[in-house]
Amino acid sequence: MPTDRYVMGLFTKEGDAAQAIGALRSSPWKLCRVHGPYPSHVVLDALKFKKSRVGYFTLAGGITGFFAGYGLAIYSSVQWNLIVSGKPVVSLIPFFVVGYEMTILFGILGTVLGILLSARIPEFKSLKGIYDPRCSGEHFGVVASCEAGGEAALSAFFADMGAEVRHFEAPGDIGRTVQGAGA
Amino acid sequence: MSNLTPAKIDNAVLDTLSPPPPRYWAVAAVLLAGTLLGLGCWIYQIYIGIGVGGQNNPVAWGTYLINFVFWVGIAHSGTLISAILYLFRAGWRNPIARAAETMTVFAVCTAGLFPLIHLGRVWLVYYMLPYPNQRNLWPNFTSPLMFDIVAISTYLTVSALFWYTGMIPDLATIRDRAVGVRKKIYTLLSFGWTGKFEQWRHYIRGYLFFAALATPLVISVHSVVSWDFGLGIVPGWHSTVFAPYFVAGAIHSGLAMVLTLMIPLRRIFHYEEIITIEVLENVAKTIILTGFIVGYAYAFEIFIAWYSFNPVEQESFRWRIFGDYSLEFWIMTLCNCAVPLFFFFKKCRTSLKWLMTISILVNVGMWYERFVIIVGGPAHGFLPHAWGLYGPTFIELGIMLGTFCMFFLLFILFVKHMPSVSMTEMKEALNTGDSDAH
Repeated sequence: MPTDRYVMGLFTKEGDAAQAIGALRSSPWKLCRVHGPYPSHVVLDALKFKKSRVGYFTLAGGITGFFAGYGLAIYSSVQWNLIVSGKPVVSLIPFFVVGYEMTILFGILGTVLGILLSARIPEFKSLKGIYDPRCSGEHFGVVASCEAGGEAALSAFFADMGAEVRHFEAPGDIGRTVQGAGA
Repeated sequence: MSNLTPAKIDNAVLDTLSPPPPRYWAVAAVLLAGTLLGLGCWIYQIYIGIGVGGQNNPVAWGTYLINFVFWVGIAHSGTLISAILYLFRAGWRNPIARAAETMTVFAVCTAGLFPLIHLGRVWLVYYMLPYPNQRNLWPNFTSPLMFDIVAISTYLTVSALFWYTGMIPDLATIRDRAVGVRKKIYTLLSFGWTGKFEQWRHYIRGYLFFAALATPLVISVHSVVSWDFGLGIVPGWHSTVFAPYFVAGAIHSGLAMVLTLMIPLRRIFHYEEIITIEVLENVAKTIILTGFIVGYAYAFEIFIAWYSFNPVEQESFRWRIFGDYSLEFWIMTLCNCAVPLFFFFKKCRTSLKWLMTISILVNVGMWYERFVIIVGGPAHGFLPHAWGLYGPTFIELGIMLGTFCMFFLLFILFVKHMPSVSMTEMKEALNTGDSDAH
């Protein structure tokens, strides 16, 4: 079934958006994605996402940083190979500070990398596709797709849920508002 | 906050980005002139030599290190508000978190300048970087000064990333309301963020890890700074209490600076509905707590010097209280411990004049705390024939003025070109009724 018609329902209340998401699951239409101005937990619960894997990047970064910090301090000391202030050349306790700071630094760098890769940013194409700028203001945009000719029924569904409706012909289409409902 | 709507929040913040009036540029010009004055003094010092500063035997660390510690301390409250209070779900942090994070980033940048200034021959700064030179003289990682390099550079990187990551959704909000070149700039800055929940779910997870890692970092950084002193066998410095003492002092000064910045920001940008009196009141209450911790540390240091029966320590602290720098000691004690007690009165906590006055006095007190510790230790050490006094020269004062102007210049440039309040967090707080943003 070709699903090349996209309809966005714009909701001003997160609860309404969550309700629409739930209703879409038991409908013939396909829920594509949801945009929102903030990470509403009501909407996130309705979307039933799996747990994000960003934490693995943080963990990998942290472990790398810990060993990199200790490694740098030990390697540097061995190169110099002089006893300073009566401490052994390889002084594990003072080097813990370097290891600790590097753990946090690399942990954070890993987290940033995890966010960028998982959230797939930077990415600029989506802005020219199925997107409504009001979704960064106060609207939640629920995007569903249907086959050609099925837009009217999907639009009516969104309108019944209290949304303002926009149609998009294809992912690259800038869209048009077809119905201003209770929004 | 009950009258706020998402649209009102957006409008209030976006209004701050409108073209500024001439008086804004006049203030910016004055601050730029001050910054250039400081730069001129630094260039003069580089040209003539470090001797144009007042540092000499026995006090080798003067205003440059005082200001370094002062600005690192100021930087701490940003992370306290953005990370620690985030983990504790303290809702009152939302309106001031962005400005506090901004303060952190600029304060660390300002702090980072002082070791370079203090080096004298600044072009040799690369000696501190871990790379092999021709003599294989790697940095000594058992030195607390090298701990400092690692800790401060980590703190700058982490706080800048934390600050920018938090700003991405807000930059998208600005992008969606901008036109022309501004739209293109904000599109690039927001990384093409569209607020898809597929993005949000990773973002909030990452933000949580940011906060969780920034919290131990903020505590470790000022602990490491304190070890610059605590690991030296100088009377008045060689103490195990220094790490918690410095962390508490850093948060004390940072919270005071938050008030000093927020009160004019609130008035100039008409943020009264967003940065409410209750928010400022909560900062004031926290200052009472940190004031008590700092006061306890002052008393504890003196008690331990007396209890130790160590005559050198006892003399060091007797001199601190009654000696040549007793005025600085009493300014420090009054401003940091006594003045915040006025915040016990609701009238003082809810009056902008009182809040502003007390916050400035706490900042003055915290600057003097660093003076008393950094100068007081070596000025009155083990050997009476090596005792001596220190006073800053005009060149040092010029550099200090320049860095203060630079900090405030960066801050006012930021608030006029970037979102100074987190719209995302405010909107979420509106809906959830708490701080569960991100």
